Amino acid sequence: MKWLRHPAVYWAVSVALGAVFVYASYEKIGDPRAFAKAVYHFQLAGPSASLGFLPPNLLAVVLPWLEVVCGVLLIAGVWRREAAALTAAMLAMFVVALLWAVAHGIDIANCGCFTVTATDSDGRWAWLKIPGDLGLLLAAVYVAAWPPLRTQEAPLSAPATAQ
Amino acid sequence: MGDQTKGLRIWRLATIVSVAFLAGLGWNAWSGRGMTLRANALIKPGEKLKEIPAAEAKDLLAKGALFLDARPLDFYKMGHIPGALPLPLEDFTTAFAHLEPTLRQRFDIVVYCAGYGCDASHEVVRMLRERGVAAVILAEGWPAWTDAGYPTATGPNP
Repeated sequence: MKWLRHPAVYWAVSVALGAVFVYASYEKIGDPRAFAKAVYHFQLAGPSASLGFLPPNLLAVVLPWLEVVCGVLLIAGVWRREAAALTAAMLAMFVVALLWAVAHGIDIANCGCFTVTATDSDGRWAWLKIPGDLGLLLAAVYVAAWPPLRTQEAPLSAPATAQ
Repeated sequence: MGDQTKGLRIWRLATIVSVAFLAGLGWNAWSGRGMTLRANALIKPGEKLKEIPAAEAKDLLAKGALFLDARPLDFYKMGHIPGALPLPLEDFTTAFAHLEPTLRQRFDIVVYCAGYGCDASHEVVRMLRERGVAAVILAEGWPAWTDAGYPTATGPNP
């Protein structure tokens, strides 16, 4: 698994993860009201009689910006591990929210994960969002926890040292 | 060992979160696309849609108010407020044409849908208003009604 600590692999995973998060934030930032509707749909952060509208609205306003800031940092290579750690935290939250929704019979077809405007009326493949987020979570944990060693110069094409 | 192998820096985490907070709140305040943080985002700014709590809706039902179910018909069949008529958003035009004579005689209409994440009731009330029919929205919709333990009916008939 030494190849995992190769700078090129680390860079590629970081940039891909960052691009996914920048893409995911785009529509949410453009239409925070529509994203708030998706947050309401999950019923995890409210609104409710006790919580009111502030927690879900705040989440709808801030979360897309956290996604885009982390995404840009991952792509730019600035504070990459911290950005990945926050990305992992968000993904863990998304996975919990999706599982919670499934457990409570709430459909996750229109979860607001990547888009807030398109309507997925089919929903047959909605469950794939859970393993998809788990895959991204693994990538984020990798970027946060296993940065390449500066002293390592192992080329990708050296199988003898790659195992 | 290089700088990259050191642990995560808390101040960097806090900075990233703070920047996201400030950017989000700033965008919400000044982009023209934001919302009032303490209000229902499903109601557009300046829009005069009225939401009523389940207890008030129950009082209206006792006084003979007309309830409209904006959810898909299958949901209506599985359970609805007694006496409610189906007016699913997805089939609004056809259903409205059928119900129009009744709706035009009423001034006590309450529309509900599947809950907080559902804006079908808001859309139906907007479309009714465009056609000159006034209605209010049951806040939190069907879950608020059932959570309060109020009576329900099942099947295709009111």
